[in-house]
Order: sequence, then C-alpha cells, then structure tokens
Amino acid sequence: MSANEGLLANEAEKQERKWISSRFAGFVRHHAWSFGSVIGGLALWEFVSRYVVGSKLFLAAPSQVLIAIFNLWRTGELAKHVETSALEFFLGYVIACLLGILLGFLMATFTQCKQAMQPWVSGLYATPIVALAPLFILWFGIGIISKIVVVVALVVFPVAINTETGLRATPLQLVETVRSFGASTGQIFFKVALPSALPFIFAGLKLGIGRGLIGVVVAELFGARAGLGQLIQQSAETFDMPTLFAGVTLFAVAGIAMTSGFAWLERRLLPWRE
Amino acid sequence: MGEPLPKLRVEGLTKRFNSLEVLRNISVDIHKGEFISIVGPSGCGKTTFLRIIGGLERGSAGQASLDGRLIDGPGNDRGFVFQQDNLLPWRDILSNIEIGPEIGGYRNNEQRKRTLKLLKLVGLAGFESYFPRQLSGGMRQRVNLARALAVDPDLLLMDEPFSALDAQTREIMQTELLRIWEEGLKTVLFVTHQIDEAVYLSDRVLVFARRPGRIHEIVNVDLPRPRPLSLKRTAEFVAYVDHIWKLIEDDVRASVLEERG
Repeated sequence: MSANEGLLANEAEKQERKWISSRFAGFVRHHAWSFGSVIGGLALWEFVSRYVVGSKLFLAAPSQVLIAIFNLWRTGELAKHVETSALEFFLGYVIACLLGILLGFLMATFTQCKQAMQPWVSGLYATPIVALAPLFILWFGIGIISKIVVVVALVVFPVAINTETGLRATPLQLVETVRSFGASTGQIFFKVALPSALPFIFAGLKLGIGRGLIGVVVAELFGARAGLGQLIQQSAETFDMPTLFAGVTLFAVAGIAMTSGFAWLERRLLPWRE
Repeated sequence: MGEPLPKLRVEGLTKRFNSLEVLRNISVDIHKGEFISIVGPSGCGKTTFLRIIGGLERGSAGQASLDGRLIDGPGNDRGFVFQQDNLLPWRDILSNIEIGPEIGGYRNNEQRKRTLKLLKLVGLAGFESYFPRQLSGGMRQRVNLARALAVDPDLLLMDEPFSALDAQTREIMQTELLRIWEEGLKTVLFVTHQIDEAVYLSDRVLVFARRPGRIHEIVNVDLPRPRPLSLKRTAEFVAYVDHIWKLIEDDVRASVLEERG
C-alpha cells in the first residue's frame, strides 16, 4: 500500500520535472535566435581575443572575464565595490524619483511653477550633466555624496518631465465624469490624474535606471575610494583588461536585471494595459 | 392643496457664451417618473441644457431646481450618462460602477449588493473583474448606465448615450433602457438627435429650436407601455416622428447648410 503511494508520489514528481523541463525547452525554442546570437557572439569574442588579437592587454576573452569576476569575489573585493556602487545608485535614484515626481506634479498643477521651472528643466535635461561630474567631485569630495548628486542630477529631469506630461495628458472627459459625481479636486487627482499618469511616470523611472548607472560610473571614474567605476578606472591604469571587463559586465548585468524587474513590476501594477 | 412639487423645475433658464446666446428663457416642469427626451438640430443647445441640469455648467440667467433645491453644482442626486462611456481604463468593471458611491464616501457591503444587482440588471453579471478594454462598445455603454444608476439618482441625465453604437445594438439598448426604467421608475432626461428614439422612449418630447436654443414645442407621446420594438412600424408611431421632423426640418436644413459653409 505504502509502496504504491510512494510509487505514485514518484510518478507525480517525474511528471512535474517533465513539465518544468518541457517549459524550459519551450522557452529556449521560442527564443532560439536570441540564444544562438548571444552564444555565437560570445564564442566569436572568445575566438578573436585568443587567436586574432592574442593579447590580454587589448581584449580580454569572456572566459578570462569570468575568472576575473571569480577572483574578485574570492578576495572579497567584489562585495566592497558592488556595495558602494549599489548604495550610491540606490540613494541617488530614490531621491531623484521622489524629487522628480514632486517637481512634475508642481509643474503640472501650477502654471507659474511651470513657467518658472520649464527653462531650467528643459535646459538641464539637454545638458550632458556627466560633464559636470568633476565639478561635483570638487564640491562634494570623493566620497559617496558627490556620486549621489551626479545620479540625482541625471535622473531627476526625465522623471519630472514624464510626470508632468502624464498628468497633463489626463483625458478631460474622464475628469468631467468623476466631477459629475461631485468629486473634489483631491479626489480628481487621486482617482483620475494620478492613475492615468502612471504609465508615463513608469516610463520616466525606467529611463532613469540607465541614466543613473551612467552617473555612478562616470562619477566614480573621476575619483572615488571604492565602487565598480573606480575598479574600472584602476584596472585601466594597470592594463588589467579582464578586471576592467568584469566591472563593465557587472554594470550591464545590473542594468538588464533592473530594467526587466521594472517591466515585471509594470505588468503587475498596470494590468489594465495591453 | 396645490399641485405636487415637480421633480425638476426649470424657470427662465438662459445661457450665453460671451455674446452667443445658446439657450433663451427655457421653462419646463418635469414630474417624478417621467421619461423626457430632448431633440433638436445640432447647435440648439440641448447638450448645454443637460449639462446645466447636471451642474457641470452654470446658466447665465434663470434657475433650475431639483425637488425644490436650487441646482448649483454636480452631485450624487443626479446620474450623468455621457455620450462616450468614459470608463476609467485602470479600474475593473465593478470599481468603475462604484466610483459614484466611492466619491460620496458611502461604499460598503450594502452598496456592493446593490452594485451586483445593477450588474445583473444591465446584463453584465460575471464581468465584475474585467477591464473596460476587454468589453465591446455596447457592454461598455451598459456599464456607463450602471455607473450612473449606482448612486441611486433621483434624476438620470443621458447625453446621446447610444449614438456611438451600431443600429442593431442601439435598438436593443433602447429596449433594455425601457426595461430598467420601468423597474426603477426613475425620472429620465434623454438627449438625442434620433427622432424615432425619442418617440419610442418618451412620455414627452421637448423639441428644441436653434439660434437661440429654445423650446419649440412639447409633444406628448400617447403610446401604450410596455412598448415592443414592433411599435416603431405602426402608423401612430410614424405620425409622431413625422410631426416632430416637420417641426425641426427647416432648422436642420439651415444648420446643415451652415456647416457646409
């Protein structure tokens, strides 16, 4: 009897595993060209750096980059750099998002505010703010603060502009509809304007991820005690290409992970969109 | 003892946009449970009239009062059904319908029961958790109607609610509306540009004239209820439609020529 049950459980487990593996196989088949392209690209890179360039000084092979990452992890250096960069990015990003949404809200709500802010926001958004990074280092030192300032300066404007655009794009007939039920200004904002602006705000936040990461790297390149940007700078000076590529790879992974995390969050929070 | 107080009393209502007089001196009494339609050529101010009753706009002179209380803004005692369904795309059907009670601050279990009953009434039971984009135009227009009914309004204001629907869906929606109206005995003010729709639905039809907008004639529709769709093919029905069409024909012709420039 019990043996029978055990057999059944075993069978179920096998079914489950089969299901998972078939799902995985389906995923791979569905994205065959993407997988092929990435694997092919890595292979080509490995081949070129080993047999065409043939010098670690100019181009590190993917395998060497992996080894470099492993070595950084073993010595505990990886954790130090990642923690520093992550903290700088996180603090700067959160401050910029809150500030940007507030700014966008003020600009969408008060005409005077819009008129006063518009030239500055448009101007600074178009300015390559990374060019000011050395100045920020001079003002705020080589510690974490200068990096946060650079990230904030890069992220705040796209968030503000998107928030403002989103709030302004609120369909008037929807506002009128809730007004016909006697909605107050606050109710109109929270029940109509804000939800209808959310997709725009999300787009701004997503844009901010890439810009924030650039801010971290550039600010660290110009002077820092730790961080992935500093690691890249230091490896470049000692012509340690595998470690340099390790830093770049980690930034790329962080960017991809955060962007896809955001896409997931967006699908969860805005299920009403197609 | 005098006459009972009308549900809606409009006295000398006039509306001007700058120098343009849109409505001139409209006076009419509408009684509880009446189904009133307003027809007229485009530019006769019928939608403006409805919006003033809804409190979405103010008259320039004169007044309108609901149960003796002066109308000076929008409120939960009126339900407005817009021409477009205007559903909030991020809310599911249930919370779209409950937006009125939510704004009024009385959303509770009692209300939820009423909302579910309303969904059944408009034939959408089971669609609670759908999003508006998943529904057809006719279904969305039913939600629009249910949303207005959810505040249990004394007066239902409908602004060409079926004009965006195809001819067949429109006919079905007309019968549905009558069924719902007969169940709840609401007072309805219904703006349309379709004369046959007005005659089919109404107890009285206010025929508006244009430039400035004013009441040309009030037509009493003495047709028995309940009204099947086949009523539209009877001689009496056609006679009503004909009569109203003759009243506005010249006005319509003038407005069409004017639009052509």
